Amino acid sequence: MSDKQNTVDDPTRRPPLVTGEHDMADVTDIISRVVEMPPPSLAWKIAITITSLLTLNLGALIGYLVWTGVGVWGNRSPTMWGWPIVNFVFWIGIGHAGTLISAVLFLFRQRWRTSINRAAEAMTLFAVVCAGMYPGIHIGRVWVAYWLFPIPNQMSIWPQFRSPLLWDMVAISTYGTVSLMFWYMGLIPDLATLRDRATTKVRYFVYGLLALGWTGSNRHWHRYERAYLLLAALATPLVLSVHSIVSFHFAVAQVVGWHSTIFPPYFVAGAIFGGFAMVLFLLIPAREFFGLKDIVTMRHIENMNKILLVTGSIVGYSYAMEFFISWYSGSLYERFAFINRALGPYSWAYATMIFCNVLSPQVFWNKSARTNLWVSWIVSILVTIGMWFERFVIIVTSLARDYLPSSWGYFKPTWVDVMMFAGTFGLFLTLFLLFCRFLPMVALSEVKGIMPHGEDADGGHPQPRPPQPIEPSTAEA
Amino acid sequence: MHNTKTINIDDDNRFLGDLGPRLTLGGGVIGISGIFLALLLSVARDNGLAHFFHSYLLNFTFFLSIALGALFFVATQHLSAAGWSVTIRRIAEFMAWLLPWMLVLFLPVLFSVLFGSSDLYHWNNAAVMNPDSDHFNELLAKKQSFLNPSFFGVRAVIYFGIWFLLSRYLITKSIEQDATGDPELTNKMQRFSAPTLVLFALTISFAAFDWIMTLDAEWFSTIFGVYYFAGSALGFFATAILIGVALQGSGRLTHSITIEHYHDMGKFLFGFIVFWAYIAFSQYMLMWYANMPEETHWFLVRQENGWEWVSLTLLFGHFFIPFLYLMSRHIKRNKVTLCVGAIYVLIVHWIDLYWLVMPSLPHHEFGLGGLLIDLTCLIGLGGLCVAGFAYVAGERSLIPERDPRLGECLAFKNM
Amino acid sequence: MSDSKKTTTTNYPERTVGLLAEYATPEAILEAAYRVRESGYTKWDTHAPFPVHGMDDAMGIKMTVLPWIVLACGIFGGASGLLMQWWMNAYDYPFYVSGKPLFSIPANIPITFEATILLSSFGAFFGMLGLNKLPQLWNPLFRSDLFRRATDNQFFITIDARDPQFNENQTTQLLRDTGAAVVDPVKKVDRPVRIPPTLHYVGLIFTLFAIIPPAVIVAARASTKTEPRVHPIPNMDWQAKIKPQRANPLFVDDRGARLPVPGTIARGELHEDDHFYRGVVGEAWAKSFPEQISIDAKTMDRGQQRFKIYCSACHGLAGDGQGMVHLRAVERQEPTWRPPSVLFDGPVRQQPIGQLFNTITHGVRNMPAYGPQIPTEDRWAILLYVRALQRSHNATIEDVPEDLRAALQ
Repeated sequence: MSDKQNTVDDPTRRPPLVTGEHDMADVTDIISRVVEMPPPSLAWKIAITITSLLTLNLGALIGYLVWTGVGVWGNRSPTMWGWPIVNFVFWIGIGHAGTLISAVLFLFRQRWRTSINRAAEAMTLFAVVCAGMYPGIHIGRVWVAYWLFPIPNQMSIWPQFRSPLLWDMVAISTYGTVSLMFWYMGLIPDLATLRDRATTKVRYFVYGLLALGWTGSNRHWHRYERAYLLLAALATPLVLSVHSIVSFHFAVAQVVGWHSTIFPPYFVAGAIFGGFAMVLFLLIPAREFFGLKDIVTMRHIENMNKILLVTGSIVGYSYAMEFFISWYSGSLYERFAFINRALGPYSWAYATMIFCNVLSPQVFWNKSARTNLWVSWIVSILVTIGMWFERFVIIVTSLARDYLPSSWGYFKPTWVDVMMFAGTFGLFLTLFLLFCRFLPMVALSEVKGIMPHGEDADGGHPQPRPPQPIEPSTAEA
Repeated sequence: MHNTKTINIDDDNRFLGDLGPRLTLGGGVIGISGIFLALLLSVARDNGLAHFFHSYLLNFTFFLSIALGALFFVATQHLSAAGWSVTIRRIAEFMAWLLPWMLVLFLPVLFSVLFGSSDLYHWNNAAVMNPDSDHFNELLAKKQSFLNPSFFGVRAVIYFGIWFLLSRYLITKSIEQDATGDPELTNKMQRFSAPTLVLFALTISFAAFDWIMTLDAEWFSTIFGVYYFAGSALGFFATAILIGVALQGSGRLTHSITIEHYHDMGKFLFGFIVFWAYIAFSQYMLMWYANMPEETHWFLVRQENGWEWVSLTLLFGHFFIPFLYLMSRHIKRNKVTLCVGAIYVLIVHWIDLYWLVMPSLPHHEFGLGGLLIDLTCLIGLGGLCVAGFAYVAGERSLIPERDPRLGECLAFKNM
Repeated sequence: MSDSKKTTTTNYPERTVGLLAEYATPEAILEAAYRVRESGYTKWDTHAPFPVHGMDDAMGIKMTVLPWIVLACGIFGGASGLLMQWWMNAYDYPFYVSGKPLFSIPANIPITFEATILLSSFGAFFGMLGLNKLPQLWNPLFRSDLFRRATDNQFFITIDARDPQFNENQTTQLLRDTGAAVVDPVKKVDRPVRIPPTLHYVGLIFTLFAIIPPAVIVAARASTKTEPRVHPIPNMDWQAKIKPQRANPLFVDDRGARLPVPGTIARGELHEDDHFYRGVVGEAWAKSFPEQISIDAKTMDRGQQRFKIYCSACHGLAGDGQGMVHLRAVERQEPTWRPPSVLFDGPVRQQPIGQLFNTITHGVRNMPAYGPQIPTEDRWAILLYVRALQRSHNATIEDVPEDLRAALQ
């Protein structure tokens, strides 16, 4: 069966979103098999060993950092913000794609999201974990981190709520909590499926406990669907606000190149851009290794590539606006900041950013590039790199050369910076591999819901008819 | 087994018919007289011509924003292969097809700049750019390569040219599909919509810079194009709702536009109200927080001399009230309440543009006289736009008759 | 799986609590649902692996109250967020930072917004679980092997035996009529609920352990301690240095605070000019102003201003000794009070200027030393003004400039 079967653009019919002539039982089997397969494949074992080692390395380096101090990083005057903040924004940005897929695409009634939303939401949570670690450890005296929270402390003082750093803390925690609830709520019916297929007592107990006794009752589905819609409607402004608040870190400051009103939507678009790249990066191999090709189809890949092109264009638009307005402002400092980015000591980083973010997604104007797995995977890697460099260029070039030339400097990362960042990838991938192994990677109930059954040619559903009057009972007792 | 009840629109009146020429004539007459009345009223005042030009610009950008919002809608619906919006897309196409007509409406502003008037744009003044003059403004002089009348004119021609080409393609192909029913046309329009959106984003941003942001040429904001876009999107949805209801009220398209369509347009209206508030807040908060005089003076003007009331009206009237109102499912699913909401949104959108444009009028005073000029100009330009819409609609069908997704459009139901 | 779950039920009665009917397609179950509802059943439900479109209408399910719960939670969250920021930053401990208002709405919006979303989401999630009465980990339906397909690919109708219209035969017949593939009774075993004894002990031990932390806290707050608190991470709290009031055995006098070496003079304190700094020329009091002081209107004005500040309180504005302090002391009949000198008469008038300077600097009798308070130049300026006062009280009409004489005569 050709992979590309459902990428044909025929306006007269909606393409099938589950290919390969599968029915609902098949879909259950395909997904559940991944979880129930004992023992896990060799590939999985090797992968998780490598990622676990990276995670252990991360743990060790965090210990080293807390013991010795923040000086083990490359943050020096004038670039007091370096890799830790870049990595933080990078990971938080990646998390946004999951919420976009779950919430925003749901509100826009994009039925193709059902094959990828579970994995994307999981990815969001793991990205938030990796991101949230950085603010926690970069504060120097980690043991008094409780001062960031509005709990009574020994000085009777409260946190400074007018600071972007506090906004960030509230926003990230809210985002993590809401994403967790949304993800878990979606999991409940699928955990019930796993419970009902469980063959060992342990699996029955654990999945049963987590499924909360779900029976698929329609009375429950009614409230569930309403809650899902409400959470989607809430998660949409949430995802916009979280990365906007992250952008406020920079935009409310008076630093040249940071203080730009377009930062909030620009950062949000960039986050979605980087996040989708990560989703593609994970799912393209995952669908191969876990046999999900009929559920995460080429049409899904193509749609994600289209979104990559759209959000990449919004990022490109923002670059253009910033560049023009920096000239238009007439401000010596603004004009210099942007020329410095392109031609100054970090021009190599700027070139990488432009190539990866603006140029590489342009291949997706071409349909065959959009439907080619290798091109998609390589571009997703380039975009991930490019988005890291975008944050690096914004943060480091503006700090390295700001108002006073006598204060200019050049930032270099230390080995701790680099190894710690690698460690976060280890943590992220370890969690993702564990997720693949123990939880259903695809939203089973949602995919079943969009499979064709009883729909007419126009995609309409059975219309409700008014109930008929009750016939008098004629049966015998 | 339940029957899938497909909506039958064969009996719908899908043409403007004789209403068209009546609207064209009536709109044209009201339009021209409105503008002349505004001109007369303004000449009688002290600040006269400057006030007229500001009013004209305010109302022009108001109607332009709606037409641009329509172009955005058509392009995005094609690009996302949307099925729900088919029966309202033609209305949006007609609205977008007004864009070339807008060039004619823009001529008064264009000519005033080309003929050296600095009533609107203070940078259009040789003394400001001349280092030897008393009025020399060093900051504006730095931008002279951009802020000069010839380049201004060239850019305006480019914007309208691009809008003309974009809207023409999308509309002619759609009209062609009425006759041939060729599904490949849908694919062509979808493919064309992608570069349309790229060009749309750039042209709307630079048009907003040129025509509104340079009213205070010392100020700058990278998000300004997005701000104008947010207003244009919500302006479009409000207008589309009203046009739909008006057409159905006159006995046309009775079954073609269902309550599900209104519900969806209401959702979009709600969404863009929230989006507008988000953009407006971003712009304000960042400039407030950093507190740099080169940026805050723009907001400072809007915080004094009575302008603070307009600003507060925008905060509560353009965000809180429509947010709470349009949040309700019941309100969105009732044509009357939704219309009230749409009219209200158009009013506050006009107030938003008033707040953007009018503070740059020197010696601006709130009063009935000034407001009368603004309103007669509004009626004038509005009449001309209604005339244009009716003219463009002409003999053409009010829905894409043979769009392949028409069936899906009529059958869909909201959650 | 269900085999191992089935306990031996031979000792306990089984009873039918409902009927379970299986259907293969959504259309079938939708039609069946209409029929069941029209037959007047109220305690029944349908089960599906995904929400079936149109089922709400078929079953007559009304819109849930959940959106209102979410709205209420959202409003509460927003109000709480705003209130928290106001109370904590503007009221309880006013936090002044970079000139921003204490309660600044633009800066307080991000957190208010997030709090609204957070509490709304809690409302949606926990509201949904609460309204659905989940978790409900035990359900007689789970004993049925057939029902396991409800989360896979089959659709079910369950009718509860407690429904007033329920009749095992009739209801079974109705379900078969609607096209059910299988109709099974749902059985429940009436086993008395017993908590295993081990759980009693576990619960007891857990409760006991749970009491310990609050007990420790209460005890700690109710008592005082003489030892300093435990200080796990010292940072730079204790440093190897001597602080001013500490002892230092390295020195003979055991003091940590040291005086400067004798003869040390601070910069700018090498006052070698006796005339200027001490009012002394050679061995005698100076009789003239030092060179550094320029005798002009500016110095006079300065002197007048300084005189009014420092001297007039006792000596009076005219130098007549009737300052407010003196008047007050007289009023209070202070026994040790000695009236301030009259500056323009008597001994003060006779004294050389250097001696007057010395008086200001070091004080005399009840007058304290003003040297530490008044810089040297200002003291000379005051003296210039004092000379002016002396001249004014001992002047003749010829001393007045001609143009002002008329006003006085």
